[in-house]
Amino acid sequence: MDNFELICPAGTPAALRAAVDAGADAVYLGFRDETNARNFPGLNFTRQDVADSVDYAHARRVEVYVAINTYPQAGNLGPWQKAVDDAARLKVDAVIMADPGLLAYAAKRHPDLRLHLSVQASAANVEAIRLYRDAFGVRRVVLPRVLTVPEIAKLNAEIDIETEVFVFGGLCPMAEGRCSLSSYATGLSPNKQGVCSPASHVRYEQRGGALASTLGGFTINVFGEGEQAGYPTLCKGRFVAGDGPAYLFEEPTSLNAMDLLPELKAAGVRALKIEGRQRGKAYIAAVVRAYREALETFAAGRPVPHIDLQAMVEGGTQTTGAYTRAWR
Amino acid sequence: MTASLTLGPVLFNWPVNRWRDFYARIADEAPVDTVVVGEIVCFKRAPFFAEAIGDVIERLTAAGKTVWLASPILVGSERERAAMRDLVTADAGLVEANDMGALALLAGRPHAVGPTINVYNEATLGWMAERGAVAVSLPAELPAATVAVLAKAGRELGVETEVQVWGRAPLAISARCYHARAHGLHKDGCQFVCGKDPDGMPVTTMDGQPFLTVNGTQTMSHGCLCLAAEMPALADMGVSRFRLSPQAMDMVRVAEAFRAVLDGRRDGAEVAAELGGLIDAPLVNGFYHDTAGALRVA
Amino acid sequence: MRDPDVAPNAVADERARRFETGLSRAGLGLVPKLGRRAGDALLARLLRLLADRHPRAFAALREMADARVLIEPVDAPVALLMRVGPQLSLHAVPRGAGGVGDAGAADAVVRGPYARLLDLLEGRIDGDALFFRRELAISGDTALILALRNTLDGEEEMDLVADAASIAGPLARVLPVLRRNAGPVLDRIEAARRLLPPPLRRGIERVEARIAGTLPDTLPDKRA
Repeated sequence: MDNFELICPAGTPAALRAAVDAGADAVYLGFRDETNARNFPGLNFTRQDVADSVDYAHARRVEVYVAINTYPQAGNLGPWQKAVDDAARLKVDAVIMADPGLLAYAAKRHPDLRLHLSVQASAANVEAIRLYRDAFGVRRVVLPRVLTVPEIAKLNAEIDIETEVFVFGGLCPMAEGRCSLSSYATGLSPNKQGVCSPASHVRYEQRGGALASTLGGFTINVFGEGEQAGYPTLCKGRFVAGDGPAYLFEEPTSLNAMDLLPELKAAGVRALKIEGRQRGKAYIAAVVRAYREALETFAAGRPVPHIDLQAMVEGGTQTTGAYTRAWR
Repeated sequence: MTASLTLGPVLFNWPVNRWRDFYARIADEAPVDTVVVGEIVCFKRAPFFAEAIGDVIERLTAAGKTVWLASPILVGSERERAAMRDLVTADAGLVEANDMGALALLAGRPHAVGPTINVYNEATLGWMAERGAVAVSLPAELPAATVAVLAKAGRELGVETEVQVWGRAPLAISARCYHARAHGLHKDGCQFVCGKDPDGMPVTTMDGQPFLTVNGTQTMSHGCLCLAAEMPALADMGVSRFRLSPQAMDMVRVAEAFRAVLDGRRDGAEVAAELGGLIDAPLVNGFYHDTAGALRVA
Repeated sequence: MRDPDVAPNAVADERARRFETGLSRAGLGLVPKLGRRAGDALLARLLRLLADRHPRAFAALREMADARVLIEPVDAPVALLMRVGPQLSLHAVPRGAGGVGDAGAADAVVRGPYARLLDLLEGRIDGDALFFRRELAISGDTALILALRNTLDGEEEMDLVADAASIAGPLARVLPVLRRNAGPVLDRIEAARRLLPPPLRRGIERVEARIAGTLPDTLPDKRA
């Protein structure tokens, strides 16, 4: 039985080396601009960084994927097309994209470049996935976080390209790439600028012992004294609808599907993805190492151990998210 | 191309009688050219409207409206997939695709592309035109500069471009039902609590500031998008279709007001001022002006 | 870089870390006592050394827009004001001197226990996790703090204590020895601490501070 591929995030070259050393099969990253969906200050890779990182990873038989997964700006396609050209020139192993126009460009210009469909394309059904395969030759789809494991199994039975699913990290409760919440509060969006709830629009204020977080002037949360805090991602905030304040969309929680490895394997999933290009290398090293250990144990036919990643998760809680039906 | 008004699908869970009556009045009185019908937010609601949709289409068509059928926004489960396939193969009229799956099934025949499909640039618009798209309703978050490029490209490609000019903006879709969640219920046993809020459930911040609107699995803006004042500029760009998204209010009056702006009989800003008094929400236009969607730029 | 033979086991490593954290904190506390010019000169020297050892991160810090970040340890007498951008510089300021919004003060403040801030600056610990646990508090320009964090985290693990010590003459030679012996030393200090009444415990802290007291005496810049 082939083991899962473990796909790990890197926001910096140091994080990439941490991921490679901790046991990644592939590392995904973005260029230092709006062409990728983690366009955060101080993060991401110059062309030279990518070249060096590809050398480092390939020498250790680890692959490098480049995410070019925002939607190119009308009248300004150049930066996105150049990102695709450079990724091909730098000999990365795959590019992860969402926009049909850009996929068409990549398929035509670089027929040998391996294309993965980003979660930002939110392809959640057989027909949509086949469309990307037939039109652009997409070889793998990163599934949106809206499907249950049985739905993933059914889907895999009907498609003939690989699927990759998120197993750890931040969790969008909304269908990815189809969300303008950040844009509504700040004017900056994941699809256009590659940011969600951007730090430039975040403010923290102490209110006595409480900590309030605001985004674009809207209060996203107020944490009581001693209460675990979260980054003010809009959909993880506390709001009032009817009764008192509640986490209307999602708690500040992290996805952890380590307990679902047998089910995901049975469902035909090829690759497991860890979220967190914006997180520090300490996080990446710890999470990748834990998952590598779990995968080796699982591949050897032993029960998957419980590995404590509690310290790494937002809000101090973990969930299996949409993979189990009760989440809905 | 002459400019026209489109009435988007009712996004809220209205009782079927209200829904039927709403379309009867639209057929008789509203000066709109195209009416898009169908339950696109939640497949659980669809059976309620199934009994009435035939009558509604007939009534609208008889009144001279062009009727389009809208496909669901989020298609994941087998039931949602089956519903999408039925709609696309029914051949009951032009289909507005709201998911890439529907778009796949519509290849090679004329169809419309709804605002929940991501069309952000001319390359994607061109790809869609090749596949048979005749009209594309642009995502609400696009700024004027982007709309201008797409409208121009659309004219060259023979694809009509559409912009939403009235109604709460759709912001997100989820597999999870927030209406049910807010009521301590599970989606499978939701008791159709979304039916309690004909204009969606208001969401405020912890400081009491109105912010969003929940409509089942969909999240919308609290502010009501209004681009009445921007319509002449949009028309100059080459945008030829203007979408009104139904709210629980007098939509005939809204349609008449926008028709007057379109025909040059009334000033857009004046219409915005009038309509602003009819809905319990601030009017917003920030997306168009390339800033936070929740803002209103004078 | 750290000696490979240091820290034979995790417990000793942890203790050594605590020891050098205390040591460097005491050292930091002494900087203002040098007087402003000498203190700034010392920090400027530290910064030059860091820039030599971590060129990628420091090039990135210089590419940032001009801004000031106050790094404020809640358990040390002194805070550090870091100016990022083309005029990269580091100054020691009395703690509580200025917050966001004060004239000429910081654009952003990151506040927390000294040991945590040091861990964070050295990339040993995940800043988000610290923040979630509310061990760190941030105010002001959040994007600035994020940029600084990401930039420093993008560097290989830094050893700021060793770097700082290496500009302090004899301490540079003492540090590896201290680290190697930190386990037994700390055992003795900790055991003594537990047995002592509070006033004497503070005495021990003064002893620790005195070890760090070698720092100013070894500075060639001191009389500059």
